[in-house]
Order: sequence, then structure tokens, then C-alpha cells
Amino acid sequence: MPFLEVLTPLSIALCFLGVFVGIVMGAIPGMTATMAIAIFLPLTYALDMIDSIGLLIGLYVGGISGGLVPAILLNIPGTPSSLCTTFDGYPMTQKGEGEKALKIGITASIVGGFFSLTVLYFFAPFLSSVAIDFSSVEKFLIIVFALTVIASISKGSLLGGIFSGVLGMLVSLIGTFMDNNQTRMIPPGFEDELVYGFSLLPVLIGLFAIGQLLQEAEEGMKAAAHQKIDLQQGKEKNKFRFAIILKQKVNVVRSALLGTFIGMLPGVGGSAASITAYSQAKNFSKKPEKFGTGEPEGLVASESANNGLIGGALIPLLSLGIPGDSTTAILIGAFLLQGIEVGPLFITSNPDLWSGIVIALVVANIVMFILMFFSIRYFAKIVFIPKYIIFPIIVVACVVGSYAINNGIMFDVWTLLLFGVFGYIFPKIGVQIPSFLIGFILGMQAEKYFIDSLKGSGGDLAIFFTNGPVAIGLWVLILGSVIYAIIDNFKSKNSNQQNAM
Amino acid sequence: MEDFFTIDMTYSNYHLIFPKIIIGILIAIGAVLLITNLMKRWKSGTLTHFRFKFFSDNYDKVKFYGTILLLIMYAVTMTWIGFVLSSILFMILITLLYIGNIRKKSIVISITNSLATTIVIWYVFGQLFDITLP
Repeated sequence: MPFLEVLTPLSIALCFLGVFVGIVMGAIPGMTATMAIAIFLPLTYALDMIDSIGLLIGLYVGGISGGLVPAILLNIPGTPSSLCTTFDGYPMTQKGEGEKALKIGITASIVGGFFSLTVLYFFAPFLSSVAIDFSSVEKFLIIVFALTVIASISKGSLLGGIFSGVLGMLVSLIGTFMDNNQTRMIPPGFEDELVYGFSLLPVLIGLFAIGQLLQEAEEGMKAAAHQKIDLQQGKEKNKFRFAIILKQKVNVVRSALLGTFIGMLPGVGGSAASITAYSQAKNFSKKPEKFGTGEPEGLVASESANNGLIGGALIPLLSLGIPGDSTTAILIGAFLLQGIEVGPLFITSNPDLWSGIVIALVVANIVMFILMFFSIRYFAKIVFIPKYIIFPIIVVACVVGSYAINNGIMFDVWTLLLFGVFGYIFPKIGVQIPSFLIGFILGMQAEKYFIDSLKGSGGDLAIFFTNGPVAIGLWVLILGSVIYAIIDNFKSKNSNQQNAM
Repeated sequence: MEDFFTIDMTYSNYHLIFPKIIIGILIAIGAVLLITNLMKRWKSGTLTHFRFKFFSDNYDKVKFYGTILLLIMYAVTMTWIGFVLSSILFMILITLLYIGNIRKKSIVISITNSLATTIVIWYVFGQLFDITLP
């Protein structure tokens, strides 16, 4: 099979390592798949693209899956996408069915993962073949669409979300505009350091990892209230059988489908996939009143949805070059590091890489399942590693990564610390980090396509409305997502007020 | 700008067109945010009642400012004494800061954590993958 020749033994080994580290990081509350990928990104600098893909995909799959461990055992979602896993997973642990719950979650995860992988495999090439004819006008509008969707999921304030995204775009524009080689907005005194603007990687890790560190420090690095968990108790009740999953096949497929679909929408994060699948499972269930009391049904829904998310989020990334969430945003950084631009041409011009990604996903899912299913008892211990061990390690890894990314530039370390402080301050003043980040990543592309479009029209802005049916269609999508966001925002405010009363 | 829907495209000014638009949008959204916020305050009669709390209640001053100080010191010392020494020092201090006492056990933990991490990172990044370290 020529397909299998794409992956080298090294890439498979790295995939294995990635899944392992991903599970460990996902299992530690507060560490996310995003952070795992960000920390390991500098390592890919020394690797071939295909090998780094193995590592990164492994980290992605492992990181998302590892989140179920603390969700089930401690009632703390290890990653946002395992939020609803806590609803039924933790009650099962309390009933002495912890191990069974973990295994149900793992099995649901792999089914969700394979389902979304299939959708990715067939749908992404189709989407990119449509997008290949897009001119800069359509490309610009796609970016605008991505930004509006981000805003619509923003917590609390819709305008605040848009503001954060636009602010991110503005910061990304600092430096040189490649078209005419002129610099702009560089603070005086930093003309040399900021010629090409802030580097993506230190900004990313700073916002996520260092920001998180400062917030934990503010709260005093308190250990989470862990209780002793005995996976051995209640042997008979605690036994896992595949029949439990088979009984849930409709639920699994529905949840995986929802997860994949939600993953495709730019900016709609993992928690949304988990929540939607959970509530749908409840709506369709014959015994909805049992949800939240330790019902495998809810657990299955949440876990197959959040692994379904992975394939979904890769669809807009690989076919349009638009990151669906902060994790895929970092993956874009990985491609850029290797000098590969992700966009409609990606699949056709890098067929090896494309099949490499697909196979890496298959391998990662299988490795994840084997690793977790048979050694879940050992992974369960990870949740007890104290923060004072983990966080210092993360700082050093981040500093090394930032320093190494452009081959030894000290300014990148300062960028890391600066954006670490931003990552700490932003949530407190209402700037939303995911929106800011996606704005930062898409800002320069948005500018390029905007200027290219206007060059074609001689500066006439009407070009964005008159460039054919696709542009009109995109405007409909943009308007639709804004209107949806406004209605949704209004609804959630109302329900909040009702709750308050 | 000739009229509202046409933008003057001069080659030497290409780099300023988009930033200007973005700043314009930011100011516009910022203004709307400010006005809606003020209106809300006015309605609830708390217009002059500013109570913005940046830090959470009883935040850990020692650990918070200690972290910031150590981070800055780490970055500065790295250029002086190199990656390995500065990392070992930084990790011992920050682990001790987070444990919060200087008992014998804590010191042993912090030194072990520091040495193990630094050596592994130095070996994997610096030697195995030949990545430039400070």
C-alpha cells in the first residue's frame, strides 16, 4: 500500500511519543492540548515535516483524549472539551465505577475520532477544490467570516469578542508590509527587533502557558482538592464491556457527527461540541432524568463529540487555511515554520503530507486507544502530580522553545514574557484570548488579500459585493453568523437574568 | 480618499491602508462598548460608582510578584551565565517559592526537579536535535 510508505518509522515513533505526552498533559488539569502542541512546536524545527506531523497529531489526539481522566476521576475537566464528561463520569466514580467509566470514555473517543477522520478524508479535498478558484476577494471574506464566528462564541460580550479579534489583527500588523517593504507601527527603539513583527510562537505560548502560570501564582498554586480514588473497588460493577458502547451506537454516531460539524465552524471550541452532544443525547434519551447521575449515555456523547471535533477542526484548516480553534491555530504555526502555506492548494500540492496527516490521525487514534485502555490505571495517577513540579518545567520548556524558534533570538524570550503578562491581564479586562489569537494569526493574510482585492479594483470597495455569487454567498454566511450571535447573546442574557431572579 | 467607497491606492502608502482601517474599527467598537457600558451604569444608577477589582480576593502576593521577578531574572541571567546554570537556579528557586517552605524535603524536591528537567531539556534539545540554546 503506497499510503503506508508516507510515514517513516521515526514519524510513527514520534506519533507514539506525542500521544503519550498528550495524554499526560491533557490529564493534568489546567494543561491543554493547545499548550502541549505549543511547547513541543520548537522541537519540530529540527524535524522533517512528515515527522513533525506525526508528533503534533499525536499530541493533539492524546491531549484531547487525556482530558477525560481528571474529568471522570476528579470532576475537573482536564481540557475544556471534556466539560460534559464530568456530568456523568464523576458520579460513576463515586459509585465505584471509575475504571468502567474511563474505559467507556476511551472507547467512545476512538469511535468519534475515526468517524471525524472519515469525514475529513472525503470532505476536505472537496472543499479545497471549490476554494481553489477563489480570488483574493473571496479569501478576504472567508477570513471575515472566520472572525465573526469567533465573535459569536465569545463568552459574555459579542462586541468584546470582535474587539479582541480586531486587536489581535492590529498587533499582527506591526512590522514590515511585504508588498512595498515599508514598516509601520513599530514602537521607537525597537526598529531592529520588530522589523518582522512579533514571532508567532512566543506570542502563542506566552498567552497560553505563561498567562496561565501567572494566574495560578496569583491564586497561590493551590493543590486541587484531590481525594483518594480506588480503581479496584466494586469489581463486578466496575467491569467494562464493549456491549455498553454497542447499545449506544446511535448516540455515538450522532455525537461524533455533531462534534465533527461543530469542529468545522471556525472558532467554536471543544466545550461547545461536548455540550451540544450531551444535550442532544439527553433530548433523545428514553431516560433523560437519569442524566447526571452516572449514566454511560452522557459520557459516551461527550467523549465521542470531543474527539469528533479533531477531524472537524482540521477541515477548514487544511482546505481553506483557516484555524478553527486555538489548537489548529498553533498547527498553522507549525506549517509556517516548515515553510508550507496552508490554503486551498495545500492538499493538491502536498499529497504526501495530506496522506501523512490522515495516516497519522489513524495511528494516533489507535495508539491512544491501546495506551489508555490497557494502562489507564497508571495514567490515572498523573492527576496527582503537584503543580509546583509541573509549572517550573513548563516555564523552562517555553523559554527554550521561544529562544530556539528563530535560531537563538533573545528578543523572542522577552516577547514570550510580555505576552505572558498580556495573557494574564486580558481575561481580567475582558479581552478574549482565543479571539485575539485568531485575529493575530489571520491579520497579515487579511491585509494581503484586502490590498490585493483593492489593487484589482483600483481602490473601489464595491468589489467585495460585486465579485460574483460566491462573494454574495459568503456575505450571507457572515450576516447569518452575526445575526445568530446577536440572537444567541440576547437569549443567554435573558436566561441569566431569569436565573438571577 | 475620493469618496466613502473608494480608497486611494498609492504604492508608497500600501502599508498604511489596512492598519488605518483596523484602528478605525477598533475605535468604533471601543466607543460602542464604552457607551453601552455607561448607559447600563446610568440606568442602574451607578454611573460614578467605579469598583474595578484587578486581583482576586486575598491573592498570593509573594507567589505572584515572586514569579514575575524570577521570570525577569531568569531571562536576564540566561545571557550572562548560560542556559544550563540559569535554568537550574531558576527552577530551584521557583519550585521552592511554589512549595512555600524551606524544609529539607522541599529543598530535595526542588533540586531534583531542577536538575532532571534542565539536563533532559539540554540533552534532548541541545544535543539530540541540535537546537540552539541560550
